[in-house]
Amino acid sequence: MPSSSTGTIGAIASKELRAYLGNPTGYVFLTLFIVASAAAAFLTDTFFGRNLADLATLNKWMPAILMFFVPAVTMNLWADERRSGTDELLLTLPVRDTEVVLGKFFGALGVYTVGLLFSLANVLVLVYLGEPDVGLMFATYLGYWLMGAMFVAVGMVGSMFTGNTTVAFILGALGCAALVFAGQAPWASGFIGVVMVGAIAGLAWNVIAGSGKGGGAAAAVAVGVALGLALWLAPVQLRGTDVGEWFVGTFAALGAPAHFESFGEGLVRLGDIAFFVGGAAVALYLCGILISRRHW
Amino acid sequence: MTLQDNSSRTVTIRAENLSKLYGDFAALHSVSFAVRQGTVAAFLGPNGAGKSTTMKILTGYLSPTSGSARVLGFDPTDPEQRIALAGRLGYLPENGPLYADMTPRETLEFLARIRGLGTTTQSAIERVVAQTSIGNVMSMPVSKLSKGFRQRVGMAQALLHDPEVLILDEPTSGLDPLQIREVRNLIRELGRTKTILLSTHILGEVEAVASEVVLVGEGRLVFSGTLDELRAGGTVEQRFYELMDRKKGAA
Repeated sequence: MPSSSTGTIGAIASKELRAYLGNPTGYVFLTLFIVASAAAAFLTDTFFGRNLADLATLNKWMPAILMFFVPAVTMNLWADERRSGTDELLLTLPVRDTEVVLGKFFGALGVYTVGLLFSLANVLVLVYLGEPDVGLMFATYLGYWLMGAMFVAVGMVGSMFTGNTTVAFILGALGCAALVFAGQAPWASGFIGVVMVGAIAGLAWNVIAGSGKGGGAAAAVAVGVALGLALWLAPVQLRGTDVGEWFVGTFAALGAPAHFESFGEGLVRLGDIAFFVGGAAVALYLCGILISRRHW
Repeated sequence: MTLQDNSSRTVTIRAENLSKLYGDFAALHSVSFAVRQGTVAAFLGPNGAGKSTTMKILTGYLSPTSGSARVLGFDPTDPEQRIALAGRLGYLPENGPLYADMTPRETLEFLARIRGLGTTTQSAIERVVAQTSIGNVMSMPVSKLSKGFRQRVGMAQALLHDPEVLILDEPTSGLDPLQIREVRNLIRELGRTKTILLSTHILGEVEAVASEVVLVGEGRLVFSGTLDELRAGGTVEQRFYELMDRKKGAA
């Protein structure tokens, strides 16, 4: 009898976690993450100049650090499976594509969580230097975790595209960079907008036509991406408004740092949690589409 | 030409007009055949004939562009039916892909967990370890194993849940003569109780293990029938070249 969904997801997640933590390269990346976050937190004049026991300086840098660290965790997730042919072994077991995607996601999220737990050393330094607010620390770390969870899902999309881990890293970092710079750089907002329109089109297809086999949802995503690109890049004016500027402005609110800001101030807002969870869900949905492309 | 299904035994694997296109290239072109319950069938053909593509379709890894397949009555292109089928099917993909950083024991435990073997896991592992003679390498990383042992671990994972049907993509590929003999003996032994479809491009392998033969070339069915029917009027080798030449002439 096949395992339950949670059993299957757990088996895949623990395999990924063990594979990463059983590999010296994994510890190199974890060490780099801890060193980078400690350097961003304390090796700046601002930290001692402010004379406050908080992680405000790290908060500014954390999205950029995660932009590189998370894709380094996720780059092997699917690219390795494709390169070694084990995807064929895995996908002919009694497992659903969604279970594979979620298992991989939770495995990588586990690795990120381990890295984050090690980085709690930053809080110990604050305790040594002063009296940090417990609630503020909790909210800040919850924000780091949620932002990282979304980046893990985005990094997985990069890994699903290719069998080459370097390309997977670059694609993952590009996706995370778009989320880091959305709202600050028009290219990033436009990029996020194109991905969102594509995902909405795919979801709409699934709602209307169901989620059976075939490339219908993928074709819908492709049409959505083409539509998004047209809206973003076409030099069209509508009632005196530049459509491209409107498009970029619409998606400018999807920048990760803006939604993390409140966590860094000790506030846990439902809207911000929904943003990170929703962003991860959209990326995981795209992973599901990409994993099923072997059937097209 | 298709197998005659008028035997008293039921058909376990059936392919009907399977076609698979990659752009303009037809990897499979309207291939039909059937494999009856409890037989060892050899899927014979030169490299690039479409053997692996057919096996990927039968196991649900790929979907055909057109045509249909049934294994144990399940449609492998239907997501839910594929799950049910995978619980009763053992599959050794081409080149026996395995996780390089895991040991055979970890690999089998991981797959047993996915297959939900629960309390029977250890006895299942002991059974397949004995069947495939991998006891001495159970604690070595797969990346350190020879090609022969990797292939045997691949066989072990395919047998772990004691499936009714085995689909083996070139199970003796890369093995030395002694290992080939061991694997062929194992296939003959398993063939007494299971339905087996194995792909090969080695003519001697067909005579060594199979009772039925499906011959494909350039994505098209060339012959399907019993080994005796294939050998009628010559050796397997003679008939293979004769049929392939006739197919080329017809094309």
